[in-house]
Amino acid sequence: MLVMGVETSCDESSVSIVKDGKLVLSNIVLSQIDIHQAYGGVVPEIASREHVKGITRVFDQALKKANVTLDDIDLIAVTEGPGLIGSLLIGINAAKTVALDRQIPIVGVHHIAGHIYANHISNELEFPCLALVVSGGHTELILMKEHMDFRKLGETQDDAVGEAYDKIARVLHLPYPGGPQVDYLASLGMDKYHFPRPLIDSPDYNFSFSGLKSHVINLHHNLMQRAEEFEVADFCRSFQEAVTDILVHKTKKAAKEYQVKQIIVAGGVAANKGLRKKMKEWIQDIPVFFPAMEYCTDNAAMIAVAGYHQYQKNPTSSNMMLNGNSRLNLE
Amino acid sequence: MKSLYKRLILDTATKSIYVALYLGDEELQVRFQEGLNDHSVTLLPMLEEMLKTIHWKLEDLDEVYIGIGPGSYTGVRIGVSVAKMIGFMHPIDIYTVSSLFLLASSSDSSEIVSFIDARRNNAFMAYYKQNNHVLTEVIGDCLENIDTFLSKVSPLATVIKQGCPKGYKVFTSHMGQKVSELHDLVPNYLQITEAERKKG
Ligand SMILES: [Zn+2]
Repeated sequence: MLVMGVETSCDESSVSIVKDGKLVLSNIVLSQIDIHQAYGGVVPEIASREHVKGITRVFDQALKKANVTLDDIDLIAVTEGPGLIGSLLIGINAAKTVALDRQIPIVGVHHIAGHIYANHISNELEFPCLALVVSGGHTELILMKEHMDFRKLGETQDDAVGEAYDKIARVLHLPYPGGPQVDYLASLGMDKYHFPRPLIDSPDYNFSFSGLKSHVINLHHNLMQRAEEFEVADFCRSFQEAVTDILVHKTKKAAKEYQVKQIIVAGGVAANKGLRKKMKEWIQDIPVFFPAMEYCTDNAAMIAVAGYHQYQKNPTSSNMMLNGNSRLNLE
Repeated sequence: MKSLYKRLILDTATKSIYVALYLGDEELQVRFQEGLNDHSVTLLPMLEEMLKTIHWKLEDLDEVYIGIGPGSYTGVRIGVSVAKMIGFMHPIDIYTVSSLFLLASSSDSSEIVSFIDARRNNAFMAYYKQNNHVLTEVIGDCLENIDTFLSKVSPLATVIKQGCPKGYKVFTSHMGQKVSELHDLVPNYLQITEAERKKG
């Protein structure tokens, strides 16, 4: 079965062709990162304009790269939400036009389900499975007992972890997007400041990063005012150690409690090298998987893979009335 | 030359949805939905149902006319994306048409100002004269202060803010502009985004 995935939930227009929910034949990602860089973050109206500008080119390249035609496509899977509504609607309506034209089923996929299924490309999911979802918009622990079955164990009460990274990077005047910069500098610095680790020992699986973020920003402000010298790398390292301590500690605790067979990490922050390292070091009795780097950030291959499983599980989920939902719930 | 073109006209640039199927200048199917603001849900199922009714497929179409604004209402991108995809999938000629023209076509007055509100005393407006169902553009699409614009037109002109387009006037008035590079087709926003304006 050939599935065409379509993803336009934020600032990447992406179309992918995936065979049998596993083999990626093409995954074209048209990134707008250079455009939004000038604004220090994604501007929704500009993102929408760029999506409509690039949409047919991305479809064209995905088909050519995979060396297939639209006649070969059996199912189309498109991100339904969450995300920027104006951006979502472009992918959804482009996908619906294909579904109408070829009379093939269309399924709406939850963006986070996509991120989770990015792991299924290089590694078979085994259940029960614990997913740590970490990105600019999400920080969640999700338990899966079978395919396309999601139970949220806990989530951030304020900032998403990627969001906190971006804000710290901005304060330190690092180039946008800041997350990878902080990660890189952290590898050069030392944990000199021992920042607090909010909620690390709370009985639930919730997270909170805004207090830590403020703490880091305030200290930076004070040092600057007193004209004290400090190494940006030490700042990054101290912040990263605090964040990854919390993430790994809570993931490990949940994995034990729910006796999972594997742990997967999903979302843009899954590319973070400090997190990858600590996960592998601290958790040795349960296998931990990360998506390949190219499938950590937003892409349509992950949407195609999740869409395949969603359709296998529930073929009646095909729906031409599907709409974008900026606050779509995963469960 | 083929005499009876199969034509689709599509406009989602305002709060209403207009979809029409024409055989030559004859309207076979038309839908005009106002005020529901659910373009993303409705447009494709609506089009599918209309095509089925007259046993057409997208690939049977010879021409698609797409309303491209002006304006930056989210809806405009839905219609434009759909038209682009149709043109991408099949060798069908795509024509752009001003959504203000489509609005004006709903009226049979001899002088028409079509009007889409843009807040802060501004509007997207255009000024047409009409003779025997043929519209001629006097002032093309613009975004301007309402009073300033109206001072330039005849006081007898009818101001049209809503109404179901009469699609055949696109053909009689030769208002479609053929798209040469489909991939580059974008709506006519007529203004840069607020973020770009602030950045300067
Ligand atoms: Zn994402």
